[in-house]
Amino acid sequence: MTMTTRAFSSRPGATDALRFVLNLPFAYLGTALLLLFAYFTRPMLLSPLLLLLIVRQAAPLGIAVIGQSVCMRVLSLDLSIGGVIVAVSYILTSGALPYPPPVLIAICILFGLVVGLANAFFITRLRASSVIVTLAMAMILSGVVISLGQFYAPGDAPEVLKFIGQKRIGIVPIALLVWLALLIPFALFLRFSVFGRYVDAIGSNPNAAWVSGIPYIRVLTVVHVMSSLFAVASGLLLVGFVGVGSMDIGSDLALNSLAAVILGGVTFGSGKGGVLGPAVAAFMLTFSFNLLTSLGLGEPGKLMLQGAIIAVAAMAYAVRMQRT
Amino acid sequence: MSIRQMIRFPGRSGLGLVALGIPVVMFVFLGFTAPNFATVQNYANVNAQIAALLLVALGQMIVAVSGGIDLSVGSVLSLTSAIIVSVDPALAVPAALMAGLCVGLVNGIGVTVFAVHPLIMTLASMTFLQGLALLILPVPGGDVPDYLEALVRFTFLGLPAAFYWCVLAVVATWVLTSRTRFGLRIFAVGANDLNAARNGVNVTMQRITCYVLCSFGGVLAGLFLSARVASAEPTMGVQYGLESVTAIALGGVLLAGGIGSVPGVIAGTVALGLMTNGMNLIGVSPFIRAAATGLLLLSAVSLQPRKTIGA
Repeated sequence: MTMTTRAFSSRPGATDALRFVLNLPFAYLGTALLLLFAYFTRPMLLSPLLLLLIVRQAAPLGIAVIGQSVCMRVLSLDLSIGGVIVAVSYILTSGALPYPPPVLIAICILFGLVVGLANAFFITRLRASSVIVTLAMAMILSGVVISLGQFYAPGDAPEVLKFIGQKRIGIVPIALLVWLALLIPFALFLRFSVFGRYVDAIGSNPNAAWVSGIPYIRVLTVVHVMSSLFAVASGLLLVGFVGVGSMDIGSDLALNSLAAVILGGVTFGSGKGGVLGPAVAAFMLTFSFNLLTSLGLGEPGKLMLQGAIIAVAAMAYAVRMQRT
Repeated sequence: MSIRQMIRFPGRSGLGLVALGIPVVMFVFLGFTAPNFATVQNYANVNAQIAALLLVALGQMIVAVSGGIDLSVGSVLSLTSAIIVSVDPALAVPAALMAGLCVGLVNGIGVTVFAVHPLIMTLASMTFLQGLALLILPVPGGDVPDYLEALVRFTFLGLPAAFYWCVLAVVATWVLTSRTRFGLRIFAVGANDLNAARNGVNVTMQRITCYVLCSFGGVLAGLFLSARVASAEPTMGVQYGLESVTAIALGGVLLAGGIGSVPGVIAGTVALGLMTNGMNLIGVSPFIRAAATGLLLLSAVSLQPRKTIGA
């Protein structure tokens, strides 16, 4: 042990650099490695056009990830994202509600608000486990939507959403702009607002936050409402991107967003983590799924990768935290 | 002990009035409303339907008592189903048990040694194992070994095989939790792991054992279910992870750990089984049934006292 320390300390520059890289969220290193791997095996994926297509594909996940990351920063989780998106897709495309698209979008936002408040009520007031509550919420939402599907089947997405989800300005997809337009202000908000400080305080030590009079329950409520609203935004974009609604649209977004948040450097009990790391991780996951598809590994490979990423990244962070 | 005290402090068993009352109320309600409920054939059906859930729920209870949770049992069930039709018939059961052992060890080590939150750890293995099951067996089908089918088909003394599976699992779990040192220790670990450690309990070891036992519950349920439908399906167990949590939460098992009992698990499982059966008999769509299970899960976890907020 002393030997290695001495060996390293003789070259302080190298250790510092190494430590810096190892302390970055795994998403950065992972993305770099993936791009390198793709460069040697599937160089086609690295053309600017395809990369931008992958970014567009990553945008719905990226938006859902913003909400999920704030949830995880206050030691909560939101797995109802998939259910919210299925419901949004149904409201928008089934024609069960005979209103023009702007009204439907407003209804979706209202719906997200209600789901978020319901989640928050069960989690903060009744103190039920957030994972169980939000998983149950997803079960309820998708169950109700699928049985409603017997009466009105989901159909085409509204034109305005298709435009946002599929078109591009010059070479830049509009979806990417929407993603950035939500990501950047939110990152600044979390960095500079009092609310952001509350979030950090609760994440690093919930008991201390509680004792020092931080409005714990109100913050958690707002966070869950935010998460559901981001899920709605993600659903709007996804429905536009796919063009038609369906019963299993966005079903893997809940788990993917969890994986992306963990990869992006936000973990339970650290109170650390930015907004950029998870965003990079969202791109990384989408890129890796494309790579897997191009390598001929379908759904099973995707699921195994998701699971392995969540487990390995969570373990690695835990080890890192124990060491510091 | 007065009745009011019993409602408030049901003790270490968690057998409050709610836990015991729900199945009784449901039984009476269905007996009066649903046609064909009170028939021997239907009781046999209910028994067969809940047998797999009971096997999973008993394992889930062991983990919950120790203060953890295992969402991956559903995928273990699916994986078992995929394994037994894919390997040599003679090796089917050992291979499935081996897989269960590995899953339990990985979950347990992740939760204890690496201190990953149990929900995140088992959510990850749930996803991974579902992928693995689909990789091994992409489409439903295959031949379940004959000896397994024989094990779920027989009737003895006029009672179906499912009944004996249930009795065996219940007795084994009861002995394990109430008549062994291991049982005593997991209650201690679940109630307060620091205190347990200070009193000389190897907390890490007990927790890992709990996850392994829970995975074995999933394997047994997978064997039972595949043999019963005489075919394998790689997504057979998807709903069992959450349903088992619902069942034990209904049965008064405290998800925060330290409180729970085998009779409670039976009551919770029967309550959930009767709800499913009743909706079947009345003719409700299976998707509404999933939503109803979700609602039941929400109300069951909301009734539990807990200090922490969040995950």
